[in-house]
Amino acid sequence: MSRRRHGVPWVSYLLVVSGAVLMVVPFLDMVMTSFKGPGESGKLPYRFLPEGFGFGNYRAALDQLDLPVLFRNSVTATALITGSVLLTSSLAGYALAKLRFPGRDFVFRLVLATMMFPPFLFFVPHFLILVHWPLAGGNDLLGRGGAGLTVSIVALVMPFLVNGFGIFLMRQFMVSVPDEILEAARLDGAGEFTLWWRIVLPQTKPVLVTLALLTFVDSWNEYIWALLISTADPDVMTLPVGIQLLQDYIDPTRTMPVVMAGLVLSILPVLVLFLLLQKHYIRGVMLSGLK
Amino acid sequence: MNTLVPERADRPASRARRPGPGLAARARRRQTVVAYLFLAPTLLFFAVFLALPLGFALLLSMSRWAGFDLGDIRPVGLDNFTGLFARGSTFLTPVLTNTLLFALGTVAVALAGAVLVATCIDRLRFQGLWRTLYFLPMVTTVVAVGNVWKYMYEPGGLVNGVLNALGLGSVAFLQDPHTALPAVVVVQAWASAGSAILVLTAGLKSIPRSYYEAAELDGAGAATVFRKITLPLLRPSLLFVCVTQFLTGLQSFALITVMTKGGPGDATAVAALEMYRQAFSYGDWGTASAAAFVLFVVVLVITLAQLWVFRRRGEDT
Repeated sequence: MSRRRHGVPWVSYLLVVSGAVLMVVPFLDMVMTSFKGPGESGKLPYRFLPEGFGFGNYRAALDQLDLPVLFRNSVTATALITGSVLLTSSLAGYALAKLRFPGRDFVFRLVLATMMFPPFLFFVPHFLILVHWPLAGGNDLLGRGGAGLTVSIVALVMPFLVNGFGIFLMRQFMVSVPDEILEAARLDGAGEFTLWWRIVLPQTKPVLVTLALLTFVDSWNEYIWALLISTADPDVMTLPVGIQLLQDYIDPTRTMPVVMAGLVLSILPVLVLFLLLQKHYIRGVMLSGLK
Repeated sequence: MNTLVPERADRPASRARRPGPGLAARARRRQTVVAYLFLAPTLLFFAVFLALPLGFALLLSMSRWAGFDLGDIRPVGLDNFTGLFARGSTFLTPVLTNTLLFALGTVAVALAGAVLVATCIDRLRFQGLWRTLYFLPMVTTVVAVGNVWKYMYEPGGLVNGVLNALGLGSVAFLQDPHTALPAVVVVQAWASAGSAILVLTAGLKSIPRSYYEAAELDGAGAATVFRKITLPLLRPSLLFVCVTQFLTGLQSFALITVMTKGGPGDATAVAALEMYRQAFSYGDWGTASAAAFVLFVVVLVITLAQLWVFRRRGEDT
């Protein structure tokens, strides 16, 4: 075979496998630690496997955290963001890919530009906009007097409801839907909304799944903004923020196994989803590199 | 698809039956209205959460404001910016230096690892399995990644356990100012290598096999093939990985917040974290906004420089 000359395969195997071990071991260590007893973690010499095996840490984590509430907030926020991103991206993507109108190039460039702006530039102003949102949370028409939208789940999701990358991704795929089909349907008297819903969306279903997954994982794991909002309103705390609090407030040398149990619980849903749908997810990341 | 062909053929006839050009203009106008209806949510969002914040951040960067009443914004010109670069300010050193070292270190480690692994994976079986394993950290919260590694770096943790088993002494990775930044860099590189590997594998797949076969006929060695064929043709993917990872590296602070909170001392204090602290801990929103703009300019310049270097090299070869 032609490949033999470019390197001995076993060297490649050795490299790739040892790299993969390096990727997986921290996760295994997390799981192992989550089953260890109170005095076991941090003890010298280090032992990978737990001596006594039990679910006590999981019970402790569930006692310390109001997991149902954290879960509910995370699920609600993620669902709202993913739903909104899919809707707005596919609508805007359709307009940019399939409709002719003045200002189209400008809007498309604007969408591309939004992907360049660094998120930290917006933390401060986004927070201020939400605090001073008119007629919300006790504010008057000028946005004064109350807490605005900062004390609600709306604040948690607001800055993420539209996503430039999502619009870009949808546009790229909708461009390849043949114009002939759309023309034919238009001659039959179908409106643009019908075309979008009945013809273009079904054809772009795989990309919608990809975008849904990318958005889901991103918003489920979002930390800084969620931290900011739940500092203002502890009722909308999400899973990552809650787990971090667990780590901050408990004596880490004694209860590290409890923190690890909490971490395992927090990443499990996404991990399962990823393993089930990884084909779509991986394709999405590969696509984003090919633009 | 086939059923559309006849329709297409008789379309001129149906067009001839249309009553004049006024209808076409009306259709065009209707399409414009529909297009903007489809774009309305997006444009409204951009106006409120993009244009407004940018203007407001710019205003704040030239004001003094404690963060309560909007009526209390006092314009101070460029004072916030000169304050950042004044003698005794920690912004240039160590904060901005840390930021650059963090980003540079991450890109270097992640890219080297990713190129190595991606070129190897390309020759192996079970490619999907390997890619999935390398990708695991990407679907995990920063909070989980940060805490697990923080724990692994501890005296009784996995990393020191391995060092001890090899007969080496323990290292207080995150407590020692000399090792803290490199230790965090390793974690960020570990977490981001997966996506780099994916993008690079996609790039490798697009290189025609015939190039390699031709090189083999000419008797080129593995190193030459890699240097003369793989690397140049991989340039677009490399550029993408470089630019995006640099961007994330320069802006990231969630991992550092979780692992070290900027410490020990200022050893791992990065710009985005400092900015966050200025605004939300010290209530100095003016300085925070000014720092945000300086960091934005740094990010922009570095990104443009990378694009320029890659394009110039592209013309040379």
